[in-house]
Amino acid sequence: MSPRLLALWLKETIALTRDRHGLLALFIMPTIFILVMTMALRDAFTPGATIDAAYVVVDLDQSLHSKALIKRLDKGAAFRRIDSGNDVDAARQGVMSKRQAMALVLPKGFGERLLTPAGSDGQPTEPLQLLIDPTLSPALQLAFRNQIMAALGAVRADELTQRAGKLFGLPSIPGGNADKDWPDEIRSIAVRNDQSARLPSSVQQNVPAWLIFAMFFVVIPVSSIFIIERQQGTLQRLRAMGLPFHMILTGKLLPFFVVNQVQAVMMVLVGIFVVPLFGSEALEIPHSLPLLLNWWAVSAAVSLAAVSWALLIASIAQTSEQATIVGGVGNILMGAIGGIMVPKFIMPASMQKLAELSPMAWGLEGFHTVMLRHGSFADLLPSLARLLAFAAFSLLAAIWLNHRALAARS
Amino acid sequence: MLRISDISYRYRDATIPALQAVSLEIPAGGVYGLLGPNGAGKTTLISLLAGLLTAADGQISLNGQTLAETRAANPRAIALVPQDYAFYPMLGVSENLRFFGGALGLTGAKLKTQIESAIAFARLEQVVGKRAEQLSGGLRRRLNLAIGLLGQPQLLLLDEPTVGVDPQSRHFLLDSIAALPAAGTTVIYTSHYMEEVEAICQKIAIIDQGLVLAEGTLEDILHSPEPLLELRLEQPLPEDLGTRYQAVAESPLKYCLKLPSTAALPRLLDELAAAGCTIRDLNLGQHNLEQVFMRLTNRSLRD
Repeated sequence: MSPRLLALWLKETIALTRDRHGLLALFIMPTIFILVMTMALRDAFTPGATIDAAYVVVDLDQSLHSKALIKRLDKGAAFRRIDSGNDVDAARQGVMSKRQAMALVLPKGFGERLLTPAGSDGQPTEPLQLLIDPTLSPALQLAFRNQIMAALGAVRADELTQRAGKLFGLPSIPGGNADKDWPDEIRSIAVRNDQSARLPSSVQQNVPAWLIFAMFFVVIPVSSIFIIERQQGTLQRLRAMGLPFHMILTGKLLPFFVVNQVQAVMMVLVGIFVVPLFGSEALEIPHSLPLLLNWWAVSAAVSLAAVSWALLIASIAQTSEQATIVGGVGNILMGAIGGIMVPKFIMPASMQKLAELSPMAWGLEGFHTVMLRHGSFADLLPSLARLLAFAAFSLLAAIWLNHRALAARS
Repeated sequence: MLRISDISYRYRDATIPALQAVSLEIPAGGVYGLLGPNGAGKTTLISLLAGLLTAADGQISLNGQTLAETRAANPRAIALVPQDYAFYPMLGVSENLRFFGGALGLTGAKLKTQIESAIAFARLEQVVGKRAEQLSGGLRRRLNLAIGLLGQPQLLLLDEPTVGVDPQSRHFLLDSIAALPAAGTTVIYTSHYMEEVEAICQKIAIIDQGLVLAEGTLEDILHSPEPLLELRLEQPLPEDLGTRYQAVAESPLKYCLKLPSTAALPRLLDELAAAGCTIRDLNLGQHNLEQVFMRLTNRSLRD
């Protein structure tokens, strides 16, 4: 190995270990984000998880049917019913004061008109009322409406069954079927190359997501060292020593590539060992060697893209402050639109299309292909190709910018 | 011998060339002073010698070889010590020396020996373990110089190596630099401090606006065949006399005139008397380098 290249690598490594802010950005920041975001988004990845949204039922009917509906609603685990008196104003006040997010008002005559389509008997319809806290997420509002509709359908079906039973002289208990527990008849199965049937979890979204984000933050130490070299005449001295510019860049690529791989190992260890200490499940990484190699291929491609991007920013910026602002804001934008901060599936369709422009999204897609779908190397190629093309473009642009700057001085 | 022949250089988009047909002969094993105001072309010339720029016209040779041939034969033959502290503040003194030695391609025992001799030369023994950012200005200058000596260069280019240091460090640096030719190194020294150049340089070139205005030994430059006359008057110097004798105003009513010979002095005195000028003070002959420099480069303020 060239002693010159070795000297360059060693210098970058020592300089990085002395850059406390850079180390904080590279190792502590992603650890904190992984822990916080894994906790925050845990329920977003768990179908049927308990949602911290309470409701009350104001039963003005007090019939067997209204009580059966309440029993049916109680069986849905997602929303939490709290007891209250049957006073509509008190329920409205409770929503205003955020004691509960919703109040369902069952009008008088609800039971009598259970099987009478609205207005079909010439009587005006009095619908069920749902009082809602306007700040409650529309998705939760819709989910609760669907839960009411399902419970209402079940109560109607019970009533029809009772009436049909009467025709055949069977004994009937109005509302009696409400106690029956039906098994969960829908089972979600993740589609993967093997037959393992676990769903992606919050930790599997957040560990690769924040790992990618942290890898791109090499922009801070790379640019701070590069700008010191440029401003203090060190680059000039190195060039006068006969070091070609491409060797100087190569001398920066490898140490930061290694740093990125150390980040990858550390964040995986955080996912496996630290995240469970905070009540979430542990990160599941592929066990087979080919999948592990695929995982590393994605990690390597993300790293090349991140370091090349950092070199481009370092070449554009004139001061460390500029590099911090341009690089930091650039990373945050790439993370925001790339599904790092907010999972892509939460975004509207237009934003999901925009996410396709972010290199961080390409990296995350690659990690998901390996970790969630257990995809083959061929499945990874689109992500890898985009990341490597981005790396090549950034690196060539950095070289071109530096040559242009030299030519301007020449 | 470093021979610079008819070197011209123009920066892209510049209206005037930075160097115009510059020719210099710099003997091996001495300290050669390069003087000039800001923007004179010194840094351009240093950059050409360091290989950072390539001249479109002219030739530069070191001991009969072009600079490219010299570098191909010995990549460490020419070293540059920039005016800035061109090292890594977050690295220690020895770490910086090890890095730059490695960047020169030195390894193993050779690298160790060179580092030790650079440390000894610059008297950095007491601060070897310190980080560069913790050093005083004088120690930083010494480290900057030590790095330049790691490759035992034949030609050492020093760009204002004493800027911002205390008198003790300056004297130490000057003594050290003056001792370098004994070890076979030719030094090209740029500075704004005339007394430094007078103290350590055997030959000097004064350049301005890309042109060599004077070149030779200190003796040659100070004892010009066209003697300088320093005059202090009670009235302003008449314009026609100023033009004819290439007068430079050193301060109000104080002028430096160029005489064709000492024999021209009586005639000038007559002309001054005829013009009604009263002489308060007069000094002919021996001048210092600063006076020559100011006279050659004029007194107009530079960037």
